[in-house]
Amino acid sequence: MNKPGILGNLNGIVFFVALLAIFSLEIFGKVVERGVGNYLKWENHTRPQLGRIWERDREKIVAQKKIESILTRLNTQEQSSESIQSFKELFEKLHPSVPQMVSRKKFLQLYFEFPEHLAQKVVSPYELLEIDSNRDWQRVLLTQFGEWITISFINNQNFPIREVFLSSEGMGENSLSQDIFQGTLEEAGFGATSILPFADFMRVMKTLGYDAQKNLFPDPQWFFKKNYHVSRVGIKEEVDSDVYPPPVKLGVEYQGDFYTEVLILPVPALISDNLLSQIEIPVQDDSLEAVSPFGDYQGDLN
Amino acid sequence: MKRRLFEKIAFSIFTAVMAVSLLSLVLYLDLKDELPQLPDSLEKINLSLPTEIYSSEGNVIKVLGQRHPVPLDEISPRFTQAMIATEDSRFYSHNGVDHIALARAMVRNLQSMRISQGGSTITQQLSKNLFFSFERKWIRKLKELLIALQMEATFTKDEILEAYCNQVYFGSGAYGVEDASLVYFGKRAKDLTLLQAALLAGLPNSPNSANPFNNFERAMNRTRTVLKRMVRSNFISPIQMEEALETDLELVLRRLQSNPNQYFLQFVIDKLEKEYGKEFVHFGGLKIFTTLDTRLQQYAQQAVTTHMKVLDRRMRPGEDGERLQAAVVALENKTGAIRVLLGGRDFAQSQFNRAVSNNRMAGSSFKPIVYLSAMETLGISPATLMRDEPVVLEISPGKTWEPKNFNETYYGDLVLKRALMKSLNVISAKLVYDITPERVIKTARQMGITSDLGPHLSLALGATGVSPLEMAGAYSVIANLGILNEPYVVERIEDFRGNTLYEHFYFGVQRFSQKSIYPLLDMMRGVVEEGTGSGIRRMGFRHPAGGKTGTTNDYKDAWFDGFTKDISASVWVGYDSNVSMIDRQGRGLTGGSAAAPIWAYFMKKGLQGKSQVNFPVPEGIRFAEIDEETGFIANLSTRKKIRVAIKNEVVLTLPPSTDSVQGFFPSIDPIIPNPQNIEEDVLPEL
Repeated sequence: MNKPGILGNLNGIVFFVALLAIFSLEIFGKVVERGVGNYLKWENHTRPQLGRIWERDREKIVAQKKIESILTRLNTQEQSSESIQSFKELFEKLHPSVPQMVSRKKFLQLYFEFPEHLAQKVVSPYELLEIDSNRDWQRVLLTQFGEWITISFINNQNFPIREVFLSSEGMGENSLSQDIFQGTLEEAGFGATSILPFADFMRVMKTLGYDAQKNLFPDPQWFFKKNYHVSRVGIKEEVDSDVYPPPVKLGVEYQGDFYTEVLILPVPALISDNLLSQIEIPVQDDSLEAVSPFGDYQGDLN
Repeated sequence: MKRRLFEKIAFSIFTAVMAVSLLSLVLYLDLKDELPQLPDSLEKINLSLPTEIYSSEGNVIKVLGQRHPVPLDEISPRFTQAMIATEDSRFYSHNGVDHIALARAMVRNLQSMRISQGGSTITQQLSKNLFFSFERKWIRKLKELLIALQMEATFTKDEILEAYCNQVYFGSGAYGVEDASLVYFGKRAKDLTLLQAALLAGLPNSPNSANPFNNFERAMNRTRTVLKRMVRSNFISPIQMEEALETDLELVLRRLQSNPNQYFLQFVIDKLEKEYGKEFVHFGGLKIFTTLDTRLQQYAQQAVTTHMKVLDRRMRPGEDGERLQAAVVALENKTGAIRVLLGGRDFAQSQFNRAVSNNRMAGSSFKPIVYLSAMETLGISPATLMRDEPVVLEISPGKTWEPKNFNETYYGDLVLKRALMKSLNVISAKLVYDITPERVIKTARQMGITSDLGPHLSLALGATGVSPLEMAGAYSVIANLGILNEPYVVERIEDFRGNTLYEHFYFGVQRFSQKSIYPLLDMMRGVVEEGTGSGIRRMGFRHPAGGKTGTTNDYKDAWFDGFTKDISASVWVGYDSNVSMIDRQGRGLTGGSAAAPIWAYFMKKGLQGKSQVNFPVPEGIRFAEIDEETGFIANLSTRKKIRVAIKNEVVLTLPPSTDSVQGFFPSIDPIIPNPQNIEEDVLPEL
């Protein structure tokens, strides 16, 4: 029987000592936990962001994105409102699903900006003074329900101080047909034969009564205020219109800040009759020989 | 021999160690992709900004996602000691795994062949709470363990303990020790006494069942166990334990039960979640300004609680102990703001919101809509003579309907106003028959009712499901002389920087002309002065008001809907199971006896100290006194006079011996209440 050598016994002892050492290290030094923990810590960044704590983070991100999208939409709406250049545009941008909101300052700017009486037909300047008198008027909200447009003058509690109701159809047919066209009368669709210099037009104007003059031509103060100089005036009949009799438009050409512009205004039916009785406008048919729209009136045309 | 044994043991140990290591490696490789990443800091768990909800008075009435994280030095050491003693007595000496606790748990689990004990350390519990589901699975336990080991290697013991104390759930909606201290004791976590600290430390284990609000005895038993463990861990002496048990716990009253705003708040939260998403509401850090008037809401809750107690005593005990329920909604007429929304007796017991659910029949409270449709369509007026008698109406060829009056009493000839005041079913049925149910539905839509309405003749009796909110909205159109203001609950929403994200604008739409509505308004005032709703006058409500009672078939629903110039309110009472409300005397509960007293109590308290405001009379309306049995202009010989409000163009006729005139009567005698016309319900005092 072979007895084990010292070396053989030593191997066993070393093995046991090693095991004992490992157990001691684990019991007293928690080497396994520390080792695993530190390894996991080292490769932490490679693992996915899972679990409730990260889910909450994602929910916060979703919430923030929603807030940002709302703010962006509101800012766009505000910028869009601020970029409105005319009273007409204010109504044009209005849709049943998209109310328009403008500040008091912007509304007043538009109200007094446009040279015609549209704004004053909507609400009189005296009524505006009254609305403004309680110092509570903050904004104006325009909403459309079906054919009705509501203009609400609201306070800081969003409560309407005054509401004005308008028919969108009426607005469209009459007042909203006012426009500013960038270009000449010809480019705006006025026939060459229906255009005359401003001085000649004024002679016709003088034959009209004071009220008719006021209703036909925009407030001269607007041109003076802006330092615009009127050059020519044109008249055209909207023969393509579905309405009978066809509406008549007056175009006032002037030199604007940078371009030649034409202020296009509807001619009220009663005045157009009176005006057209003095100025004959030919039917715009290419097959017919052009006839002077001013009929017998010769003035300084030649 | 010894050597062989020695070698065998060594080999076995070696094999076991190798096998465990190999198994661990395989498991780790398998789980690697499912292990979550740890954040850089544990403070990250408390970074969410709370969303605050405000009442119309500007007070915070609810905070969503609110946490009150506190550093460890602002937590009472007694609490951390109690927590360590209870949850993980060797917390400061292990590295995420407590070998002894784990071995003990494993033995017990193997004995029971299921996971009955976790042996989890505080670190493991934190790992579970932050990352994992609450399923008891071996794999989940292993992942939880690995993350706990990583946490121990990454964060200090105090950081782990602080995070645990700040996020653990203590029941009653309280997350974190600071929140729990405020909820249960109304004090800061640093000020907790030993007894309070022990009670709180015992809660995470069973936050609902050992909650002192739900089961005080069980909570105290658990507290004693915690204190004993503190003694065993040498945190306190047995004498200190006894002294602590002698002290007063100073538990505060439960908030949930006394908070009458819960139904309104839940309605707002649900509405916003639906519109903007759950994340926006709970994690947006918003300021939500609502229309709630907490003072009025309190009165509505008081009215319901008080009157329900009276009715509980009066009612037969239900088969399964079911209690009567009630709902109240009040709107501001001028704006449509919902000032009160109470969906039941107690939110803590039932979260079902009866104020907005449209599953209950409106009964006679729907009749004003029928009368308005008829007056608009047929050109009749409150002075029009009708005949109240048993009638058979043909629904379709060969199919008939015989509507019957309440108590099957018929009055013969009488004018329309009196018919509404008496809430006569036959007259209402005749009107719907003449104008068609579709016409009534059209009017109901114009008044803002959105629930499905079946085009049946039974609409005459309100056999259609509507909500108290809809009814209050419809009645506010009458009070507003035809203007519909869409009811709303949110005035404005701001983000945490103060940017406005939403604001409400008033879209008052004139749905009916003023002079079409006013005669109906006057008829409904008659209901309150001399008709089925006159109980509210007997209860001392003096403000000018109109209204209508409603009682459905077999006394399943009782309504009272009414309005003053400024407020419209709707009250519903009934059983959730839709059984009849029959009292001990065998009498059914009606709108007049079950709902009207709540309305009267609420409105009386709500309008206390406010001046009485009359309804403005629009142009084109005149008043006249007529004979209610003939419809002729009243004269000295008229026995039963009634004052009616009619359009100027309505022609009134003098009795046959005189000529027809368009009578105008500037001075009208005050109306004297006629007790004979009041429902015979006994109105209990509140």
